[in-house]
Amino acid sequence: MQREAQLLRLLQAVIGSVFTPALARGGGGSHHEELMARLHETAACAQELALAGTEEAARHLVALLEHRELEPGGRGGELRPEIEQRAEQLQALAEQELEARLAASAPPAPAGPGMPWGDFVFEAREHLSNIEQELLRLENSPDDPEAVHALFRSFHTIKGLAAIAGTETAREVAHQTENLLDEVRSGTRAVSSSLIDLALASADFLGEVVAAADLLDRGETVEIPEDAGELLDHLYCAMQNQNGEATSALSPLQPRAPKAAAGPTAARAAAGKGQSAVKVDTSKLDQLVDLVGELVIAQSLVQLDPALAALKDPKTAKNLNQLGRITSELQKTAMSLRVVPVGQTFRRMARVFRDLVRESNKQAVLETAGEDAELDRTIVEQLADPLMHMVRNAVDHGLEPPEDRVKAGKPMDGKIRLSATHQSGHVVIEVSDDGRGLDQDRILRKAVQRGLVKEGAQLSPAEILDLIFEPGFSTSEQVTAISGRGVGMDVVKREIERLRGRVEVRSETGKGTTFLLRVPLTLAIIDALVVKHADNRFILPLFTVREILKPRGQTIHSVEGKQEVALLRDRIVPILRIDKLLASGPNGAVSEGRPSEDLVLVVVESGPRRVALALDEVLGKQEVVIKSLGDWLGRIHGVAGGAILGDGSVGIILDLDSLMGREGYGLAA
Amino acid sequence: MEDIAQTMRQDLQGAGKFLAFWLGKEEFAVPVGRIREIIPWQEITPVPQAAAYVLGVINLRGKVVPVMDLRLRLGMAGQDRGLRACIVVMQPDAKKTQSPIGVVVDGVSEVLQIQPGEVEETASLSSGWMHLGYVNQIAKSKGKVKLLLEMDSVLAGPMEVPADAEEPELAGAAKG
Repeated sequence: MQREAQLLRLLQAVIGSVFTPALARGGGGSHHEELMARLHETAACAQELALAGTEEAARHLVALLEHRELEPGGRGGELRPEIEQRAEQLQALAEQELEARLAASAPPAPAGPGMPWGDFVFEAREHLSNIEQELLRLENSPDDPEAVHALFRSFHTIKGLAAIAGTETAREVAHQTENLLDEVRSGTRAVSSSLIDLALASADFLGEVVAAADLLDRGETVEIPEDAGELLDHLYCAMQNQNGEATSALSPLQPRAPKAAAGPTAARAAAGKGQSAVKVDTSKLDQLVDLVGELVIAQSLVQLDPALAALKDPKTAKNLNQLGRITSELQKTAMSLRVVPVGQTFRRMARVFRDLVRESNKQAVLETAGEDAELDRTIVEQLADPLMHMVRNAVDHGLEPPEDRVKAGKPMDGKIRLSATHQSGHVVIEVSDDGRGLDQDRILRKAVQRGLVKEGAQLSPAEILDLIFEPGFSTSEQVTAISGRGVGMDVVKREIERLRGRVEVRSETGKGTTFLLRVPLTLAIIDALVVKHADNRFILPLFTVREILKPRGQTIHSVEGKQEVALLRDRIVPILRIDKLLASGPNGAVSEGRPSEDLVLVVVESGPRRVALALDEVLGKQEVVIKSLGDWLGRIHGVAGGAILGDGSVGIILDLDSLMGREGYGLAA
Repeated sequence: MEDIAQTMRQDLQGAGKFLAFWLGKEEFAVPVGRIREIIPWQEITPVPQAAAYVLGVINLRGKVVPVMDLRLRLGMAGQDRGLRACIVVMQPDAKKTQSPIGVVVDGVSEVLQIQPGEVEETASLSSGWMHLGYVNQIAKSKGKVKLLLEMDSVLAGPMEVPADAEEPELAGAAKG
């Protein structure tokens, strides 16, 4: 099965590069070479599968391309239509032969466990994300032939993949949609919004199939959806309707962006930029990063080895330095593999936005900028939900109805802007609307009603706006179907803080509201303070550390004889002894008896709370890669994970949130 | 490469190959299909608040891997580690999707073939020092007795109540 999937993939790539402008200009040396390489692979693959016709067609195309390359500037341009035609023939032929081959061999085993769903999921997912994007593009510019071609090809490929995987309904849905698009392509059908709805509904169904296949691939027992409901009826009906309109007598289909849309894949990243890209399993990526981390440790052990230093050999020293440089370069590159552009999440928002605007009585356009800004893929994925919520809010609460906008002298179409910019180790994502702005009086009234602030409290405008992030606060007075789901901005804030980011809001009455999300570039690496107590080393995220001090005579006080507190510039901070944390485990090397006065105090902050950790020694500041301790240990109170330290041993990263939350130090004010 | 290794392991498992090791005077055996590698004893970083039999975590080529003391897990008395003590890295699930777990044993002795005919069910054994459910079968091979470890029970998630789980109970108690 893998060979077949590979062949389809190769053909897709061939078609893709034949139809790109770079080739049309008759050049692009690397582009040409890549196409040639793919064609050679296609021929080899076809040979292995004993698809004689395909093999020959591929070789023929190679010859044609070689021929063209020999005559640069000459007949190069003239040959293009022939190359395109040959490439399409090649694809058609290969599919015919593949189908015949599949029919001849055993009937496709449907949806059994152990099927190679992985390829299907991986490929189809990428095409689906493409489809959504292209459909939205087509809706905005119905005359765009590129979009129609791209859509046609994507549905076509999914059809092939579904046939190989043996899921009949998905194949039929893709096939019918492809037929519709073919008519658009040949000019016998016009692009209409109902056509787009239909195609989106097909994509949604295929997305469900892919999601199920993904679960199957991970060994879970689920069934591949084989019931497309009314979708197929709609598709057949649309095909019969020759007027070019895709409307039907059936109840209108409402495509809805599935909440768990086919997850963004890292590989999509580079593909969008028209650069060549390789698809890599993310677990391999993580493994690579792990191994590079080890290499860095091994390299530093070698470089700092006293025996080698004693040699005093200039050549060895030079080579070691070279090794060091290469290692750190390699580490940088490996770390950069984890990042993906934020654009893929923006594209998902475009889809949500479209559905929202159709459901509400608003008129609006979505503007995006900075799609290229790159972030750790986990962050990009986890930004999706908060962003979706904020786009919802903007459409639902932010923008006024068209008639109100006209009265206010604004353009009828509201504008929502989604942008990303880099700012010193962070990415700032902006969600803004040009709607009515937040009503400060109403926010304050509501906050008083809910008991969040006292009646008559004097708050600055910024403080008032910040109230919308308080738990249980919701500005909308009536609950609507779209955003009134009991999830408020407090959830958005929490999610962003979980990513170690921050949310800010700015608003001007009548002009609009802007939310700024500031998130770190990566979750994998943190600046950390490495501390030592007894024989154990612990890691504290540096951004939580407020100060480090050696207590003096008047610093430490005792409350009711049991709880120690530190008095720091008139502020009372409870002391938490690290050995107390360890003592509850079996391996705690408790340095009993050492009074807190002899220890170092590291004051850490989490939310509004501060705690002074009492410990033996501060070892220093260092960048560490955060690693999970594994599922087996489960969630351990007070432990956020582990990190591999410079000497190769593991240090425990403390989770200050849970430490402070649980110990219940209510004293911090 | 990895696929081949995987297939080989499965083949071996099918053929009834076991890794034998000892704890005190008892000899145990586990199917080799579940063994990833055997590594020498090394410094282990303790994890605060973890279950008693969790010794801590180690760095296995850049991955953080938890390590358990099999003596404590099974309910045997702990003792100082001898020179032959080592860490057997095992796979909690046959599908290899979960991350591996290190298991400290007093020493490994051999890889041996155990035929189905040599295996006996043993219900009464667990009455002694050992917690229930960890050994249900016993094998007699070459005149020696090997306890067949139930890998799924041994490598299942920590059974002691995690520290976090206490809170709801406390809240409940306060109400009542």
